[in-house]
Amino acid sequence: MSQVPAAGRVASELDDIDALVRTYRARLLRFVAFSIGDADLAESITQDCFLKAYNGRASFRGDCSVNTWLTSIAMNLIRDQQRLQKFRFWRQARATAIDVTDAASFLPSHETSPETRILAKEKAREVQAALEHLSPNQRTVFLMRFIEEMDLSEIAAMTKMPINTVKTHLHRALKSVRAQVGGAR
Amino acid sequence: MNDMMKNLHLSETELESVLIGDAAPASAAHLADCGSCRTALAEMEAPLAGFRAVTLAWSERRSATMPLRDLDAARRRAAAGLRQRFALSTGLAVALVVGVAIPVLHRTAATETGTNHTAATAEAVSASPASPASPASPDEQISHDNLMLKAIDQELDSRAESPVSLGLQPATRSHQSYASETQD
Repeated sequence: MSQVPAAGRVASELDDIDALVRTYRARLLRFVAFSIGDADLAESITQDCFLKAYNGRASFRGDCSVNTWLTSIAMNLIRDQQRLQKFRFWRQARATAIDVTDAASFLPSHETSPETRILAKEKAREVQAALEHLSPNQRTVFLMRFIEEMDLSEIAAMTKMPINTVKTHLHRALKSVRAQVGGAR
Repeated sequence: MNDMMKNLHLSETELESVLIGDAAPASAAHLADCGSCRTALAEMEAPLAGFRAVTLAWSERRSATMPLRDLDAARRRAAAGLRQRFALSTGLAVALVVGVAIPVLHRTAATETGTNHTAATAEAVSASPASPASPASPDEQISHDNLMLKAIDQELDSRAESPVSLGLQPATRSHQSYASETQD
């Protein structure tokens, strides 16, 4: 398949902001929300992200997926927020913190048994708690790998880190999370 | 070799490498044959998969129940921002044109005036009979300067208002004496 039709298809996808929002909002919101730990602020950043993407759609070269492109925009917006010191990650975000325990009840019931949902809820709560103890870089690469399911080269390109640095952050993050979740052997 | 690898099993670090997407070929080969390591890997992955599913369920629910409340307003803001940027850029462009044009025109006019003035000065200098080309000696220079000063004094005296023309009496002798004494 040639690159031009794919790029054209992506360009038309970006032209329809409503379709863009419908398709990617949930995933983007999840990445932002669990990066910053504040649901309301995550909504605002997600919204800004879509507007920025829509206004800057001409600059999209089609050399990555739309989801990856949106995630990189979101990551920059999160960094801008960090620089502006408008909030501090996790510790000061309790007012609108994400209640993942409540989130577990949203799991589709026809796909999971009650026991599985309870277990998933408990483990998800533990993983969320473990995220609080990661450094921002560790948290970002952790979410990109295990939430967005990106491969190492994509993460390295988006974070502008050498791939070995990404691996180091991922190993440390995973060890830290597993130690707190109780999965370490 | 395969039997040995099966007996050794993968270490935690090797399993973590598989999880992060950096599996060594040997680890991948071992996993293909070792059910025990596959189970260990699945156990390690379970909390992460659960977290992924739960958080996606949360964000989908939130996205569905909370529409992008300010999207239209934000679109309008973006459009207004574009209009403002256009107006600002137009204003800046006009200011730039005016700012560049005025000094250029001013300089052009000044250059023309300066050229005329220089030409007039050159004509006046060349036409002046009192201006020698170049003094031959210091004595001649001094005498020339004295002549010039005398001519200036005469010119000034001729331009001064005469007391008579102002309706005054001519100066008395004593007054003239006082004047000459004070000048001395």
